[in-house]
Amino acid sequence: MMPALEVEGVSKRFGATVALRDAVLRVRPGEVHALVGENGSGKSTLVKILSGVHLPDQGTLRIGERELSSLRSPRESLEAGVATVFQEVLVAENRTVLENLWLGHDGAFRARVPQRAKRERAEAILAELLISPPPVDTLLEDLQLSDRQAVAIARALLREPRILILDEATSALDYNTRSRLFDIVRRRSASGTAVILITHRMDEIDEIADTVTVLRSGETVGTIEERSWTSADLVRLMTGAEHLAQPSVREASERRHGGDVVLEVSGLRLAPGKAPIELQLRAGEVVGLAGLEGHGQDAFIKALWGMGGTPGAVIRRDGAKATVISSPESANACGIAYVPRERRAESMFEWMSILDNFALPTIGRDSRGGLLSTKSSESRFLPYIERLRIRLGQPSNPITTLSGGNAQKVVIARWLASEPRILLLNDPTRGIDINAKRDLYRLLAELAEQGLAVVMLSTEVDEHVELMDRVLVFREFELAAQLQHDTLERETLVASFFGEDETR
Amino acid sequence: MTQATIPAPAAPRRFDFAGFWRKYPFAFALALTIVMLAITIIAQPNFAPVQQISTWAPYAMAGIALMPAIISGRGGIDLTVSPVMTLTGILFIGYLAPAGLASIVAVPILLALGFVIGLVNGLLIVLLRLPAVVVTLAMMFVYSGVNVLLAPSPLTISGNWITALSGDWGGFFPAALVALAIPFVAWILLARSAWGRSLYAAGGNDATAFSAGVNVAFLRISAFVLGSMFAVWGGLVLVSLTSSANASTSASLVTTSIASVALGGISLAGGRGGILGALCGSAVIYLVQRILSTFQVPTMWLNLVYGLLLIVAVVLGAILASPRTKR
Repeated sequence: MMPALEVEGVSKRFGATVALRDAVLRVRPGEVHALVGENGSGKSTLVKILSGVHLPDQGTLRIGERELSSLRSPRESLEAGVATVFQEVLVAENRTVLENLWLGHDGAFRARVPQRAKRERAEAILAELLISPPPVDTLLEDLQLSDRQAVAIARALLREPRILILDEATSALDYNTRSRLFDIVRRRSASGTAVILITHRMDEIDEIADTVTVLRSGETVGTIEERSWTSADLVRLMTGAEHLAQPSVREASERRHGGDVVLEVSGLRLAPGKAPIELQLRAGEVVGLAGLEGHGQDAFIKALWGMGGTPGAVIRRDGAKATVISSPESANACGIAYVPRERRAESMFEWMSILDNFALPTIGRDSRGGLLSTKSSESRFLPYIERLRIRLGQPSNPITTLSGGNAQKVVIARWLASEPRILLLNDPTRGIDINAKRDLYRLLAELAEQGLAVVMLSTEVDEHVELMDRVLVFREFELAAQLQHDTLERETLVASFFGEDETR
Repeated sequence: MTQATIPAPAAPRRFDFAGFWRKYPFAFALALTIVMLAITIIAQPNFAPVQQISTWAPYAMAGIALMPAIISGRGGIDLTVSPVMTLTGILFIGYLAPAGLASIVAVPILLALGFVIGLVNGLLIVLLRLPAVVVTLAMMFVYSGVNVLLAPSPLTISGNWITALSGDWGGFFPAALVALAIPFVAWILLARSAWGRSLYAAGGNDATAFSAGVNVAFLRISAFVLGSMFAVWGGLVLVSLTSSANASTSASLVTTSIASVALGGISLAGGRGGILGALCGSAVIYLVQRILSTFQVPTMWLNLVYGLLLIVAVVLGAILASPRTKR
């Protein structure tokens, strides 16, 4: 049988990062084909290429009979019969359900479908998807999140696509809507529609998929047909037999444990209706935050810094003194430093020098009678250059002259200069090279040795396995598991992301 | 997770201010217009409606011309409306009339010019991804300069068909209403077409519109084109009122046009508001002027009153549309 979709040798790089390498995917008509992989495995990139958002660097796509080197826009993709529902709930909040459902369907000025028919078909598709569908004249901003996503899904279904892509589209849906969606998916695939399903939930894969393709670090590592997989197979394929990098960073594996409690979390809810989180953080500990992207890790680390979260849930303990962390200011005031995730947008001043980037939050210390002394800043910066092995020309050069890894070290030095007791790092090694990573690991181990408590969000499984004393796994905005270093393996960790705690 | 979304049985509901506000964002401006109109008529028993409407019409046109760019979202704005209105007058009186083209054929010629001006704005903003406020500010200076070059001293015209646009018909019917009805009807029809619905959707959330296959770039460029063509028509309305064109007034409607649309509930973030907002907003701006001069308040108070009204309108809008009151 002619495949509905064939992807061959498709590659895509963003700057120096290879997001997808020689991707291969073959989807038959009437098949539900699941795409799985860890964070950064390339699933989303592949989906964005299929939906016309990204252009591939090389490779070919075959949709039905047509062979293409790329889909140049979402419009082209839709015209080729591919409809995609994205993880982000993409709706126009200021317009009605009816307009959202038919968005993009019309010509520039003329409606292709008469208004009466639009209304009828909109009502029909919503009734299929929702138990109590909203009136089609409701504004999207008056709907709950689940119903908004249902509208985005219904928009794709209305197109009667030959290939329907659901990119983690179910995570915003409530239970009833999801089971109704799966009923629709079964009916559509029975009548020949090919469905590509990206999901982080093993139970969904087991429930509905016919075939699974696994991606790892941008490579297609395997396709398993005819429901002949086990969860363990998939986890093994996703993580890879061999470790991708062996940083061997645990020079000081016998770290001082049982330090004083420096931070206490009690009753912290990351989203309404989720289970509260209870936790103690001790001096000298390195704690990892793990899970699939967008499952609450980010909200958790920000809550530790006083941003969002349940009021009063985060308490800083310093001996007998207890302070509630209610804002970033209060966090900074009691020795909690935070290194944000987006280096360029949230922590670098790109138009300023390396030295100024380092000195800014602590610049008061360089004040001599109201005037700033550059010498003083420099003398404070020098030890960090050595300690963090920052490779730079002159401290007065613009920070943009540094590589990502070195710029990140400057940002970390900035916060170390404030002499924190707790260091929060939000995915600090993202996009930096392996040597810079090693420097950073060594530094963290050293700092922990000296009694600093480190909390680090990381999307790299290896980092958790190698570096952390303890890993907190987040799933659906709840703390799903706590894994100790001595029992931590790649497979157990990745399995826990997917809620497969029993898989070994 | 399994919260039922069954609507509650019809309980006696409080009046839904937020919903009302979102449906009729021009309500505040309309209420102000009615109050001010009442004050004006009471304070000035010899109020002449025909003349008032003709004098207001250019303000209304400036607001209408600014509207499409703002609705298109992503910080869309068009500061060239006012100088393009002046340019239209200068070309009509100083160049087309002497060449014998001051008849109705002037209209398509000038509209074509508006098309080109809007296209240049739109291409620069959308294709080069430049901020609309900077591009149109620069173009505002360009057209103001062109105006001075073309007409170093004020131009006047008399005995032309165009002056009829601001007179009365049959002694009572204000011709300016017809002049305003043309863009009004054009906009209402366009806003209900596929083009208009897509423009509002893209203005509200351009990522959604793009991923749904809407040609967002075309929409935004065409919004600038439409705005400039409205500006040209506004220029003709202005000429009909004043029978003159003066390059030194090139920028006179820039700030009031922005104030008009903001007062009229047209969201500067895009995607919300419509032509009734532009009309009511500009009416408020016009009537404030009227009332202050009736009561012989010094004009220096004018900007102060504009500013206060605008702040009240914006704050009111923000409070009423805030998520807390929404649900």
